[in-house]
Amino acid sequence: MNGIRRREIARRIFAYEFNRSTYRIKPEEDKAPVYVLTPLGMRCNRVFVVGALLDKDEIKPDSGIWRIRVADPTGAFFGYVGRFQPDALESLMEIEPPELVAIVAKVRVFERDGRLFVSLRPESISVVDSETRDYWIYETALKTLERIRRMELKKDEDCKLAWQIYSPNLNEFRQIVRQALASLKEEFELIEEFEEEIEELKERRDMEERELEKIKEKDELEEFEEEFEFEEEEWDLSDILGE
Amino acid sequence: MKEERIKQLTDQIVELFRRSGYDVDAKEISKRLMLLIYEFKVPESEAIRTVKNWLIKELEIPKEKLAIESPLVKIADITKPGQWISLKAKVVQLWDSSSPNVSQVGLIGDETGIIKFVIWAKSGKGEVEEGKSYLFRNVVTDSFQGRMQINVNRNSEIVEIDEDIQLPPREIEVVGALVAIQQNSGLIQRCKLCRRAMTKGICPIHGKVEGYDDLRIKGVLDDGENFYEIILNEENIKALTGIDLEKAKQIATERLDRNAVLSELKSKLLGRYLKVRGTKGGRYLIVNDVEFLKGIDKAEVERLMEEVAA
Repeated sequence: MNGIRRREIARRIFAYEFNRSTYRIKPEEDKAPVYVLTPLGMRCNRVFVVGALLDKDEIKPDSGIWRIRVADPTGAFFGYVGRFQPDALESLMEIEPPELVAIVAKVRVFERDGRLFVSLRPESISVVDSETRDYWIYETALKTLERIRRMELKKDEDCKLAWQIYSPNLNEFRQIVRQALASLKEEFELIEEFEEEIEELKERRDMEERELEKIKEKDELEEFEEEFEFEEEEWDLSDILGE
Repeated sequence: MKEERIKQLTDQIVELFRRSGYDVDAKEISKRLMLLIYEFKVPESEAIRTVKNWLIKELEIPKEKLAIESPLVKIADITKPGQWISLKAKVVQLWDSSSPNVSQVGLIGDETGIIKFVIWAKSGKGEVEEGKSYLFRNVVTDSFQGRMQINVNRNSEIVEIDEDIQLPPREIEVVGALVAIQQNSGLIQRCKLCRRAMTKGICPIHGKVEGYDDLRIKGVLDDGENFYEIILNEENIKALTGIDLEKAKQIATERLDRNAVLSELKSKLLGRYLKVRGTKGGRYLIVNDVEFLKGIDKAEVERLMEEVAA
């Protein structure tokens, strides 16, 4: 794999954990991918999210940059789609919220006043059915529980780092998982902090949009790196398989 | 039981000499083995050595001549017990040995198959490691509980080799989300000469040649822990979306755009969970069978709920 970086795994994470990720892992070399460390000790560069697309708004008229808000049972993800995400933009233009969507996105990170904020930079957006959403909730609950367990055992360096930075209340995250799972049983309980969180997110969003010019430049750079993932030899495998 | 063991050992010895070009008297060997092992209670290995030495003297065989190389075989070719063979294989798995007589036991494999191996403690051979490849020289095939295995004895030799022996492809099942579909998917053209996919009517090998239409998807399946590059052929695509090559051509004609097929496939497949069964070959997961994931297991959700509550 010399020269070509291994593709980043799309992590499954609830909005609640995602939005509380405020620590960036310093890249060891220039051009190395940026990871955020979540409160449950996971490195995250790309995510796969399924939820309800609630809004899409152009941040300024004719700016060509759209802000989206996508909710799962634990909170809402923010994301920005612009011309550097042509596939995602193309699909987004055809979607009228509210709608269930699946999003593959890079984690966008920016810093302000010494604090880190995360949002989504979608690579693709597609309309999906509720079965896909249900499976995502189940799968994400499972993986979140795994992370909670690893945190309990202080399994690796990232867990230890997460304890140091966030010292998370694991019961709070268990509660979130429980609520997410409850939504599958149609006993949906609204999360209490939800309103509060929306306020916080709004505040953050305003700041983020002011930073967007910078982000645009950065996107261009990252977009270029991404191309390497798709570089390949054009082989018809049926030859090798002797069909 | 006794007779069986004696016969086994006799066959091994006969085989060993036969390979060096000497015909030896099996009856005489059996008689001597019987006497040594069951009358005089000599350990098997000592008995075998004694008989061999006797034969070597008797037939006036120069010692080095008997240090023969057993033929190099593939695992799939191992069908008869009591054969002296050599093989190159990778240690797939080591098991816990339940007997003090066994130094190591486990599975080794090459590209044709996987077989159990036993290294007897009294063979005095060095330890092998999982994942490493070795030349197993002069080992004996055996049949145990209806399955073939190989035994490493004191006449055997195990040499680590600097070669990564490939294992037979094993079918795996992956459930993951289709997180990316590459641009060169959908209704594509292939070169008539080599079947490689062409870009804008150009084959990477043969240049501007005539092509034919095909339907395929190169995509990435991601389960949150690993990713798998998959290729879906026309049959797979049809099973998932109902779109076959004819329909794809129709879509392209109607919309005056071959890319319309790709857009259509993306909207039907991206972000969906697929269950894929296939074999890992090089960088691709070769798809044998693919379907949309159906629903979730309610009992599993209950189990998780309880786990969180606890």
